[in-house]
Amino acid sequence: MTKILRLVGMLALLLYMPQVYAQTNTVSGQVVSIDNEPLPGVNVLLEGTSQGTVTDADGNYSVVASSDDVLIFSFIGFETQRAPVGAQSVINITLEEDITSLQEVVVIGYGTQSERNLTSAISTVKSEEIVKTPTSQAMQALQGKVAGVQIVSNGNPGGSPTVRVRGIGSFPGSDDGQPLYVVDGMFFDNLDFLNTADIESISVLKDASASAIYGVRAANGVVLIETKAGKYNQKTSITYNGYYGVQVPQNVLKMSNTEQFVNYINQYTEQSGNSADASFIDEAIQRYGRSRVNPNLPDVNTDWYAEVLKEAAPIQNHTIDISGGNENARYSVGASYFEQEGLLEEIRNSYERINFRTKVDVRANDWLTVGGNAIISNAKQFNAENGVWFQTYFAVPHLPVIDEENGASPIPLANARRLGYRGVQNPYFNLYYNDNRANIGKILGNFYADIQLLPEKLSFKTTYNYNYENVVNRNVDFEYNIESVPDTVVQNPNGITRVNSTSCNEIWDNVLTYEDNFNNHGITAQIGYSYRSEITEGARVRGTEISTLDPRLESTWFIPTGENIDADNSNDFGSRIFGSSYFARLSYNYSEKYLLYGTYRRDGSNKFQQKWGDFFTFGAGWIISEENFFDVGVIDFLKIRGSWGQLGNDGVVPAVGQPTLNQTSTAINDQLIGGLVVDNTFSTVDKWETVVETNIGLSVEALKSRLSLEADYYIRDTEDAVIPIILPSNRATVLRNAGDFRNQGLEVALNWNDRLGTNVRYSLGLNFATLKNEVLDLNGQSFIDGGTAEFRQRSSPGQSFNEFYGYEVEGVFQTTEDVNASGYDADFITNNNIVPGDFQFRDQNGDGVIDANDRVFLGSFLPDITYGFNLGVSYKALSLSMDFQGQAGNKILNRKRGEIIFTQDPNIDADLATNLWNGPGTSNKYPSAAGYRKPYNTNQISDFYVEDGDYFRIQNIRLSYNIVNQSLLGVSMPNTTISFTAERPLTVFDYNGFNPEVANGIDRQTYPIPAIYTIGLNVKL
Amino acid sequence: MKAIQILKNTLLVGICLLGSISCDDDLNEPLDNEALLEDVDYTRSENMFEILKGSYAELYHLQWETFPIISVRGDDVNAAGDQPPLHQTDEFLYNENAWMYNSAWQNLYGDLFVWKAAQEELLKYKEFASNPANADQYIAEINVMIGFELLQISRLWGDVLIPPTSNAEDLYNTPVSSQSEVLQYISDLMDESIPNLPNVHPNQRTDITGGITSNTARAVKAMVNLDNKNWQGVVDATDGIIGSNLYTLEPDYYNLFKIPGKLNDENILELQYSDFGNSSGENRSYLYASLGPNEWTPAVSGAQAGWGFWEPSIPYIEFMLDRDETIRLETSVLFTPDGIDELISNGNTDLPGFVTNVTRDGDQFDNSARLNFGSGKHYLPSVQLSPGQTIYGRNKNFIVIRYAEVLLMHAEAIVNGATSSTISADQAVNLVRARAGLDDLVGVTLDQVLDEKFAEFGMEWGIRYYDLVRHDLTQPLNYGGRTYDPASDKFLPYPLSQATILSQLQNN
Repeated sequence: MTKILRLVGMLALLLYMPQVYAQTNTVSGQVVSIDNEPLPGVNVLLEGTSQGTVTDADGNYSVVASSDDVLIFSFIGFETQRAPVGAQSVINITLEEDITSLQEVVVIGYGTQSERNLTSAISTVKSEEIVKTPTSQAMQALQGKVAGVQIVSNGNPGGSPTVRVRGIGSFPGSDDGQPLYVVDGMFFDNLDFLNTADIESISVLKDASASAIYGVRAANGVVLIETKAGKYNQKTSITYNGYYGVQVPQNVLKMSNTEQFVNYINQYTEQSGNSADASFIDEAIQRYGRSRVNPNLPDVNTDWYAEVLKEAAPIQNHTIDISGGNENARYSVGASYFEQEGLLEEIRNSYERINFRTKVDVRANDWLTVGGNAIISNAKQFNAENGVWFQTYFAVPHLPVIDEENGASPIPLANARRLGYRGVQNPYFNLYYNDNRANIGKILGNFYADIQLLPEKLSFKTTYNYNYENVVNRNVDFEYNIESVPDTVVQNPNGITRVNSTSCNEIWDNVLTYEDNFNNHGITAQIGYSYRSEITEGARVRGTEISTLDPRLESTWFIPTGENIDADNSNDFGSRIFGSSYFARLSYNYSEKYLLYGTYRRDGSNKFQQKWGDFFTFGAGWIISEENFFDVGVIDFLKIRGSWGQLGNDGVVPAVGQPTLNQTSTAINDQLIGGLVVDNTFSTVDKWETVVETNIGLSVEALKSRLSLEADYYIRDTEDAVIPIILPSNRATVLRNAGDFRNQGLEVALNWNDRLGTNVRYSLGLNFATLKNEVLDLNGQSFIDGGTAEFRQRSSPGQSFNEFYGYEVEGVFQTTEDVNASGYDADFITNNNIVPGDFQFRDQNGDGVIDANDRVFLGSFLPDITYGFNLGVSYKALSLSMDFQGQAGNKILNRKRGEIIFTQDPNIDADLATNLWNGPGTSNKYPSAAGYRKPYNTNQISDFYVEDGDYFRIQNIRLSYNIVNQSLLGVSMPNTTISFTAERPLTVFDYNGFNPEVANGIDRQTYPIPAIYTIGLNVKL
Repeated sequence: MKAIQILKNTLLVGICLLGSISCDDDLNEPLDNEALLEDVDYTRSENMFEILKGSYAELYHLQWETFPIISVRGDDVNAAGDQPPLHQTDEFLYNENAWMYNSAWQNLYGDLFVWKAAQEELLKYKEFASNPANADQYIAEINVMIGFELLQISRLWGDVLIPPTSNAEDLYNTPVSSQSEVLQYISDLMDESIPNLPNVHPNQRTDITGGITSNTARAVKAMVNLDNKNWQGVVDATDGIIGSNLYTLEPDYYNLFKIPGKLNDENILELQYSDFGNSSGENRSYLYASLGPNEWTPAVSGAQAGWGFWEPSIPYIEFMLDRDETIRLETSVLFTPDGIDELISNGNTDLPGFVTNVTRDGDQFDNSARLNFGSGKHYLPSVQLSPGQTIYGRNKNFIVIRYAEVLLMHAEAIVNGATSSTISADQAVNLVRARAGLDDLVGVTLDQVLDEKFAEFGMEWGIRYYDLVRHDLTQPLNYGGRTYDPASDKFLPYPLSQATILSQLQNN
């Protein structure tokens, strides 16, 4: 083996030999940027040869040249410059940044490609953009920035946003629809372990052609993330990057105050003759006294949102990166700390993460480059009970937080049941008596060796990627009583649930790459093999009535030996998934004018009965601007491109397609007895979903590359989609590969970049994406119902999937004459006791009766259009950037209002309470108080509950000041940037909730999305 | 040239590497943690018993909303609280999209599918079993479960689907069976099962104490034949039960519905629940809170109240007062001060002493906006809760079929013309009356039998409602503003969610 290696080395040496030959003069100098920053690593070549050098860490170079030679200075991201040598022995050069992006190299799966030669749709977001957003979640930074990528924020500290690339590729519920994240080659389901400041770039592979190389994992889109690396020939730089800020709850929903609520109840009592609710108010007056302002009101007026929400909560991130390199090695080593407090009072809700990372590449010799990359991430997340949001919405305003007389213990919280209400309501029970912690440890490692078999032509790269994750959840319920009880009684005993889950994932990639240019042909060919193993194991145990548990002493929060184990909630779990893939890629160009591209991947997996699948893609492009006949002065570059590709989605849960035997237990003669239940309602998912997509695109640069335009139109069909089938007469739904649907849309990104004089630079950007989602076929069925029986959603060919489905409200009956003139059948009016203040539903079939046949599609939770625009201005050292984004055309089901179907007595929002119909002419939108609770009005959803989800948001405003080459008190200062950021300072919407970002369109309980204001500092030594 | 040779070699090594590292064998590895039926070893006949116990678990898992939907329409009980579908059903204003209808439908049919699947499995074990009679007995026990719940389905919806297999999708091609066909199907199923079932009192069964016996099958047979007005069929079944001499009426009517009544000699079928003597943690329970009054001052403080969805009606209470009922009224109704005032203002001035808002076990029922009376048969005195337990009704069993019902079905069939080889209608009715402290009747009429059933079974399983509609004596249902239309109100509409996917189910 040693022999072979030595021989290979010698061979490589031989090939490099001709580079060395004798010279005459020496020319030297320094290369700097327009900001006077030294530029290391700039290529300095003698024109027409391959001789030359690169600049060192201080931007200095020295090269032997003759007076006839011309020096070419080139560096990625800068415009290339020529300098004839003549008699000079010192040539200093200032390179200008190249605002055209087409020279850039784009990361594609298992390699790179020049953006110029792309035939597919790839959007890349760079580090500078990503760090603008104060967040723990890298994808959050892309909101509104990439056409065709919808990001739905998650306000929960450490929570991952919902990310959709080109609509929904899979039915919700059968798959969470997240794209595949590939971090330096390793596959991930989410990016919660990555520090945003450690990311060099995020590339979204939007169309099938770009992502087909990832085969069966690619159907929801692929996001490639490169972490930061050092640079060869760069002197060591130490960078601190950090911010500190506060999160402020935004758009907090106004609920009824006591006066509004009592008015509503008084109207209800008067209209319905039912005085039960009025008696609860009287009880509150008895208990808490009368208001001195209005003696008809109880002397309590609790704003529950104000009670449970903090006014502000801190967020901070600090990152240190040390990077650099010499000729043969480059490195980057760093550490970071992120902390985010949640918005809820009392209960611990926060996210804290400490990361360490290193990335090293070594050119061992001429033919071997090896490298390694490791990220260790340790996070601690405290999650609030989600039920708090629900209870906060519904708690009545005349209930105080504390009621000493109620006798609840250990804290004397008030209990709405004491007033006569069905529920306890007080959200503080959930705030005080829970503690949910997750310890999340993740390790990512990549190691590779790249062997040049034929210099600059043939190389072999083998990469081992490793990911270890350990998540330990500990959910503690503390004991409490909701009212006064004797010492011997505990109404809600304590309990601890501990879930331990360990995943160990490996990917081993082996890729052989051949690159060549001859005559006018440029070829890159690759073949590869990839092995994947994903193993998860875990166990859950729940103990109850733990005598040693002391709520004040965290060290006692464990399940000791011999305590009660709750057998129903203790089990183990696990899965083992293996994948084996062969792939090949060919990209070809003729004269950099005609482009061809194709990949093939054969993917095998043990996840489904169907083991193997083949995925192809083809793409072609034509750079028209390179043609001789093309002569449009203002257009510098024009490319049209088209592609077609196939993808698989194995994110769907596999199902064995067989009955299963489940353990159960029951009481027989006061003994707990085990048994077996045969579950015959099995899902059959024996293959992945397949996506077939056609993409047509246009890339234009004009006006000296100041204007750039990227436009794409795509049609993306999902076949064999896994859809939930509602079984007749059975509560269970089963999954089948039984649907076909289509997403299509137009994506446009337009950017303008220019300079006014030498001091002012500015940029403008606009992007938008349309989306039309359409069900094509449901295995021949005319529809499939989704949602729940009370809140029906329906998918039907020709409609968007899971559209809300119910009655159309024409208005509210104002008078009895209106009711009688409605065209409704007289019996129908009598039987339903329809009176003024009730809804007038559109009688779609005109049969005089409002029933199931009058239901229509009420809209989709998917937006028709998402858009973003941004502008940036900089004057000398001062920069200002503003990002805006929004969406339109989506619907939100106000499930909180809808809850009236199940529980009628709790609080309602102020907009509703104050605008209820209460006599002719008072409202044509809202029903009367009695009508709001009446089954006639609520027995089907109607567009009363389905509201517009459009919003517009100022996403980010950032002002920064850059201090470079300054000295303070005679000491030269490091390159320093101070920035102020306002994230999401303003969101405008009509929806009656406090958050228009609802991933599945059903707003039952969501964590509010706060505005964030930060001050940031970046120091580079 | 040597260099090129070496290059070739290296290339070959690379390609070999690509080939040899393929780990395609892993693709045949199973996913973990799935117990597949295909892996089952059918020679392990002890698993049959596990499947039987799993079937009982399903029977005992009664969802809270199923019972009130079955039981709310009679004049014995009112819906209370804030559950509009329950109120509307009580008032015969049916809505095909009411969530409770679909839920009850799915709960009941869901059980049938699970039981069908269990039976299909048991048949596979039977082939290898050393004692195939065990398989037959277990299948028969499950038949009784199926029969009982299918009866409830037909009582609610009339003409319904009889599931042919455990596969719900087979319903797509299952024709609607008329109510009469469904009842006959159940009757035949019981006949087929009776020979395979144990002939002991349920509380004498050692394998499944309190489980199903041949007389449970006979009781279900009697119930379906009663609904089908096949009077002789009723008596054929009740004669078998009465003649077995295994059952007696519990003298302590009050405690029959409480902890001492668990696995009582009177009980033919009961759903078993338990807290296993624990103060918290593991338990199997019905959600009695739904049926419990929502305001009380319990004798054991800390015991929690209910939701207040279930209220004995004024007609029922006044009927009982008029009859001078004592123990049955005290047991069936919990009084609040407002309720007592209402009775007095209705002219019932001479109220017996037990009409107070404090039970004999010391629990005090307070005024509630939801209801004036509570259901005593679903009440567990707080002093009977296991120490530390606070949940309303926890550890209380749910009685489904009592011997008293067998006796009165027996009488009802005889007064309609059936003949018996055991006891007469008078004897049957008087056994029940004697336990309630009432005098004997002679020559009982249908009205007297139905009155006796009204008094005996108030708040239990809608027995009153199904009696009235069976005999078209529905006038009493028109009370408190209710209007019962015999033509359209006898059955609930099919749940919309089901009618949409099962085209044979058409509401008119």
